[in-house]
Amino acid sequence: MSPRPQSATQLQRMLALVPWILANPETTIDELAKRFEVSSREIEKDLAVLPLCGLPPYTADRLIDVLVSEDGSVSIRLAEYFERPLRLTPGEGLALLAAGRALLAVPGSDPSGPLANALVKLEEVVGGPVAVDVGNTDHLSELQSAVAKSEQVEMVYHSFARDEISTRRVDPQQVFHALGFWYLAAFCHQADDDRLFRIDRVQSVRLTGEQSKKRPVDDDFESIFHPKVNDERVRFLLNSEALWVIEDLPIEDSIERDNGKVEVVIAVSGTAFLDRLLLRLGPAVEVIDPPSARDDLVKATQRILDLYSS
Amino acid sequence: MNLTATLLDTRRPLSLDQIADRLEPGYPDDLAARRRSFERDKETLRDMGIPISVESTDSLGGESGYRIRPSDYYLPDLDLTIQERAALHIAVTAIRVGSDAGRAGLTKLGGIEGPGSTPIARLDLSGELAGCFDAVAKRAPLFFSYRGDKRQINPYGVLNRLGNWYVVGHDLDKGLPRAFRVDRIEGSVSIGKAKSFDRPDDLDVGSFVKSDPITYGEDDPFDALVLVDKNRAVGVVAQLGEECVVERKEDGAVVVTMRVVNKEAFRTWVLSLLEHAKVLSPDECVAEMVAWLKEILARSK
Repeated sequence: MSPRPQSATQLQRMLALVPWILANPETTIDELAKRFEVSSREIEKDLAVLPLCGLPPYTADRLIDVLVSEDGSVSIRLAEYFERPLRLTPGEGLALLAAGRALLAVPGSDPSGPLANALVKLEEVVGGPVAVDVGNTDHLSELQSAVAKSEQVEMVYHSFARDEISTRRVDPQQVFHALGFWYLAAFCHQADDDRLFRIDRVQSVRLTGEQSKKRPVDDDFESIFHPKVNDERVRFLLNSEALWVIEDLPIEDSIERDNGKVEVVIAVSGTAFLDRLLLRLGPAVEVIDPPSARDDLVKATQRILDLYSS
Repeated sequence: MNLTATLLDTRRPLSLDQIADRLEPGYPDDLAARRRSFERDKETLRDMGIPISVESTDSLGGESGYRIRPSDYYLPDLDLTIQERAALHIAVTAIRVGSDAGRAGLTKLGGIEGPGSTPIARLDLSGELAGCFDAVAKRAPLFFSYRGDKRQINPYGVLNRLGNWYVVGHDLDKGLPRAFRVDRIEGSVSIGKAKSFDRPDDLDVGSFVKSDPITYGEDDPFDALVLVDKNRAVGVVAQLGEECVVERKEDGAVVVTMRVVNKEAFRTWVLSLLEHAKVLSPDECVAEMVAWLKEILARSK
């Protein structure tokens, strides 16, 4: 057998394993397997490599000494230079701090509990504040408890894309946060279909006390944001000031035209969404197709202008 | 493993020949092959975050030598309690960051403690964010290209708001506090000398990026009044806060006040309310809004 670990993953694990065993000499193979999320067999392999590792000239007094007793408890000697774990990379420190800060910002987290304390200690060692603002959390805990209790909810919801306010009865399935907002995935009785609701657009929530149906939940949050097949497709010509649209919106097609202009196709889920985009871009955009989109824009613009002439 | 131990144990930098002499199993005798295998190992270790430093083997600037400085390698003692480890495990499983960096970090801290959680949020850490954070952690100046300009800042922290990551700090050219969206940084960031500056004592990273993009910009600030009809009043007050309400009309409409430092963002916000919101003052702002709408109308007909 060679003292070379089989892979970077094994090496990384071994460099973490050794300091842990040095600090916790009563630990067992089973405990280590659970802690480092591998099988006991993998841990045994790691422990078999260790006695071949050490310092030049690799005589018995320079090689790591591993003792595994009959009851499976493990201890290590002659590895003083590995007594502390490897420092965290910036990416690892960032990931721990960001995840911790995000969870701490969710209502229900204890702002002075173990997580908060752990983050203070981590920040001291890793450095640098990481702040995560999880946005508006109104109605969040009510909806979370409705999900937990499988209870039907009646809510007043502002559909931004259609600019409508409606009362809906839903079977809540899952509450999650993505791309800066909280979402409720639910079966909507009005639409007779699964819908995704932005929780910051929920105006009021009432738990009905009635049982809701549990449905399989898509754990991959990403897939919910794909445009629907029956969304209308609109074709625009953007000039150079409006090119951020290409980065910020789900563009289905884009063709470069003269003078730095770009022709794009966007799936549009509601007239109001489209009107807002066009009103925002103003002179930097031109609707090519369909003509009805241009008519809608004229009407929407006129309605707003009327406010100012009264 | 042995290479790490040897470089960590040595007090003076070792040349490749010295490493090859000592290490078991050794490197090939052929010099080119030896260099290649060593470079490959060195990269593997560096990718894992093992800080191999390259120094001269003598004071005359001779051959390159290698070692791992213990102060660079060892994680300082965090002294985490079992409950704190368990809380970090829950955080890493509840918040998905799009990579296994969090889990790799937990491994170094001694593996997982207690049960995990089902995922409740997604927070992407891709792009130049780790580079920005590295500069924050090292208190090193950060250099990058942003909207075509070269920027240099003393980065104080990173912040996620409304799903966007910002690096905030002191803009060394403008002499002002600034926030930059990390996803708009062009190309790669580079980092200056560590420990170049101190963070302000009363640092509040959140204050660099206002919760609403309307209140973030470089235009001369002014206060605007906006009338919001009853259909959108609830949502707007929830967004801006009760303190922005100047007047409540009998029909349920509200007049809100807001400080504008970014006219474009303000116009976008008002227009996003469609025919449910109207700018009341200042007059100049009303005139600009009307002109904007008339131009859209003229071009669309």
